[in-house]
Amino acid sequence: MKTLTMKMAIAATASFLAMSAGAWAGEVVWWTPNFNEARARQLVEKFQAANPEVKVKLEITTTDGLPQRILTALQSGAAPDVIDVQHGWVNGYAQNDLVLPLDDVLTQREDYIPAALEYNTWDGKLWGIPYRIETHAIIINRGDFKAAGLDPDNPPTTWDAFTEAAKKLTTNGKSGFAITGGGEVGNTIFRSLPFMWMLGGGIISDDGKQVLVNSPESIKAVTFYTDFFKNGLSPSSTLENDGTANRRLFIAGTVSMYQSGQFDIQSIRQENPNIDIGVIPVPHPEGGKTAAILGGWSFVVPSAAKNPDEAKKLIAFLAEAENQAALTDTFPARISAMDAERFNDPILKVFKEMLPFGRPVPAHPNWVQISQAYFDGIQRILLGDENVKDAMDGAAAEIEGLL
Amino acid sequence: MSSKPQTLKRPGLPAWLVILGSVLLVLVCLFPFWWMVLSSVKTLRELYTVPPIWWPDTPTWENYRKVLFESNIPRYFLNSIIISVGSTALALVLAIFASYGFARFNFRGKPLLQSLVLVGQLLPTAAIIVPLFITLRVLGLVNTYWGLILVYMIITLPLSVWMLTSYFKNIPVELDEAAIIDGASRLGCLFRITLPLSLPGLASVMVYAFVTTWNEFIFALCFATDSSVKTLPIGLAEFSTEFNTDWGAVMAASVVMTLPIAILFLSMQRLFVGGLTAGATKG
Amino acid sequence: MQKQSAGYLFVLPALMVLGMLIAYPIAYTGLLSVTDNAGNFVGLNNFRRILAARATPTAFWNTLWWVFGSIIFQVVLGVLTAVLLNQNFRGRALVRSVTLVPWVVPGIVAATTWAWMLHTEFGIINYMLTAPGVIDRPVGWLTNGNTVMPVMIAINIWKMFPFVAIMVLAGLQSISNDLYEAARIDGASFWEEVWYVMLPQVRSVIVAVTLLLVIWALNHITIIYAITRGGPANRTLITPIQIFRTAFESVQFGQAAALSVMFFAVAIVIVFVYIKTLASNPEESR
Repeated sequence: MKTLTMKMAIAATASFLAMSAGAWAGEVVWWTPNFNEARARQLVEKFQAANPEVKVKLEITTTDGLPQRILTALQSGAAPDVIDVQHGWVNGYAQNDLVLPLDDVLTQREDYIPAALEYNTWDGKLWGIPYRIETHAIIINRGDFKAAGLDPDNPPTTWDAFTEAAKKLTTNGKSGFAITGGGEVGNTIFRSLPFMWMLGGGIISDDGKQVLVNSPESIKAVTFYTDFFKNGLSPSSTLENDGTANRRLFIAGTVSMYQSGQFDIQSIRQENPNIDIGVIPVPHPEGGKTAAILGGWSFVVPSAAKNPDEAKKLIAFLAEAENQAALTDTFPARISAMDAERFNDPILKVFKEMLPFGRPVPAHPNWVQISQAYFDGIQRILLGDENVKDAMDGAAAEIEGLL
Repeated sequence: MSSKPQTLKRPGLPAWLVILGSVLLVLVCLFPFWWMVLSSVKTLRELYTVPPIWWPDTPTWENYRKVLFESNIPRYFLNSIIISVGSTALALVLAIFASYGFARFNFRGKPLLQSLVLVGQLLPTAAIIVPLFITLRVLGLVNTYWGLILVYMIITLPLSVWMLTSYFKNIPVELDEAAIIDGASRLGCLFRITLPLSLPGLASVMVYAFVTTWNEFIFALCFATDSSVKTLPIGLAEFSTEFNTDWGAVMAASVVMTLPIAILFLSMQRLFVGGLTAGATKG
Repeated sequence: MQKQSAGYLFVLPALMVLGMLIAYPIAYTGLLSVTDNAGNFVGLNNFRRILAARATPTAFWNTLWWVFGSIIFQVVLGVLTAVLLNQNFRGRALVRSVTLVPWVVPGIVAATTWAWMLHTEFGIINYMLTAPGVIDRPVGWLTNGNTVMPVMIAINIWKMFPFVAIMVLAGLQSISNDLYEAARIDGASFWEEVWYVMLPQVRSVIVAVTLLLVIWALNHITIIYAITRGGPANRTLITPIQIFRTAFESVQFGQAAALSVMFFAVAIVIVFVYIKTLASNPEESR
């Protein structure tokens, strides 16, 4: 009887422990988003075959509410071992000591796009390993171009020419160029900040010490951006539209040009195969060069991870060129990985060309609030509450307090 | 009061008003839901059109097929049932006792305690998530049914107590007094008199607790990361990938998610009807 | 009612559970509000910073609008609906179930469905209004600074009035026939019956439900966050959303905690005042 009770007690304790969160020794819990699932599973199999003593537990996340969920996990100490995060989030984690430095994992530093590494660098150390990068370009409806007498193979490259083209395309209930004015702040940052960079302006300086958002150059860029709505070239629903909404308008045929990443191409092809899709680079001011924000995803290891060494092994494996090329949905962060077959689709050509112009956003602990203050200003302009200068001055005042 | 030889007819709403009211009610309540259902049988192409399409040319069951056979939704459905039933039952039991105490007794500090019950509800969600998560972690309950059941019980308990107290108050205290004179204990009063007479109140509290737990998103998101315990609202969110929200599937999953509760309520109709206190203390 | 300490026994289990599991978050929030991100004690710094933020007073006033605007209509519509559903008519059970649908539909789905229906260009609502010529241009429901908050409140009313309806209905169902008989004898009309018989009997239910609505409205996040995230330009930003975003988007847990503490204090005052004035006299109601 006694041994039976003992055994039951042991079994109960064991199952209790097994039920609790977290891994036991040698197991790596990896959080990856649902769009990676299929490819991640294949890579996990490959990894486990080569490293039988390490077990990988894949947990699928959704992009809805992801930052909140990650923060809760990191902040409370019950975190997985590897997490897929967007580049822009890494700094916040690093500065709050929520993730581990990963300099020892990175090999062949030269093979990486510098901007991608910059994103994950803070205080001289590397806090995330990028595996995926992308930038925006402008997606156009070639049919609309031809109908308006424009040549889609010789697209406008300067701001003035671009605005002219948008005007010509705005007929018959169509909008020439859709900007974003709603949704998540990131949508509008990604689309408007590069224009500011092209003139030498910005929201804050790269060292995070100066407010630039109401400098004459920035104001000129913001005026350029918001004028598309002011002058009726962007749909009347702009204030409620994010990138996805603009894509839907494009698919529905009411928008002829809009800014987005290459991930939209697949959806457009699927939902409206009749559209002849074209891609053109983001226009630059006369005498200037184009610019873009580098987006994408990195791996981080939480400070609270239970098996950091095995986690680093997994990341090192995933960081190999071939595996990166397999996992990414857009482009890999390593130059050598770019040679893979799947990146040779002709429609990706312009996106590839934009990559070298990609820059990281400034690394500042209060970046989220800073970009929110800027976005509020943009919305005030679009609402008609304030003109560009007043709105940007207001944003500048708020941002001053945050630096 | 003696019974009359002939009962007067109760004045009611004029029939046309009842019909008009009902029609309006059904329209207002159902239209968005119907729009959801329509969207769930449209193909992606027909979803985003300008102007919107009323009736799909090519209705498809594809979305339901995806939801029911190709996704984790059935598993999440099971999880949601277990968790919702568990937390509702627990909350109900605790609430019944507490509400009886508040409704029938007068003790020092009662108003304060009653208010305290509500205090936790006032804490902003953002302030409560991380500490609750830490508590769950310490108890080893992250990613378990019990962890979520506990959390949802905490969320629904205060308001269940508050509601049930007012329902109990509506039952004449004379009934209790009569039973006590007959030798019943307090507990006996509760079970034999108060509870049977407060079935509509119990039913409505049950519905409240169940629905709140069933639909809750943010706590489930943070506290249940393993698909063995994930709930339906999370499953819904999983149809949003970075490139596209599969609206057809989301709508189909929403329909799947909403039907059980409508059925639950329909089957509880019995409890909502009647519930008269048969003038037991009069006459 | 007897003065008996047996009362304590009845309420003890629930209070213990709540006490243990709510006390810690309150203490934790209090602690967070006076520390910075690294854990150092910073006194009232967080309070100062969040009060200085431009969004804070805006959010506060928006919250008041939101709460009052929502509650008045939720209660009025809910009570009227309960009265209707209390009537005996064919198909009553079905109508009752249908009424529940808005409340039962998951918040996030309701929000996104409404956002879609209200879209300036894709939305069915604008289509229904412009096609027969009721209005000639589509209305920017969510893009116009003046309509966006009323629209959010309307969605909230749509979502919650069924809850009021079934709670009040349950109360109405418990009304003894004797009371109706007495009214009939006095020759009361229907609306007099409503006013003098039904409403007083469900008074405690209405009071309790209204308090719940106040508490929920004060803590609301889902609908507004899913549709406008508090925009455009903070037009629909209410304090609970500001707290949520400060914590989980700006990663400023300390400031979010400070705002929570202040908001919590204000909310307690509101609830306290409410209870004192409306739910007072527990003796009298019996």
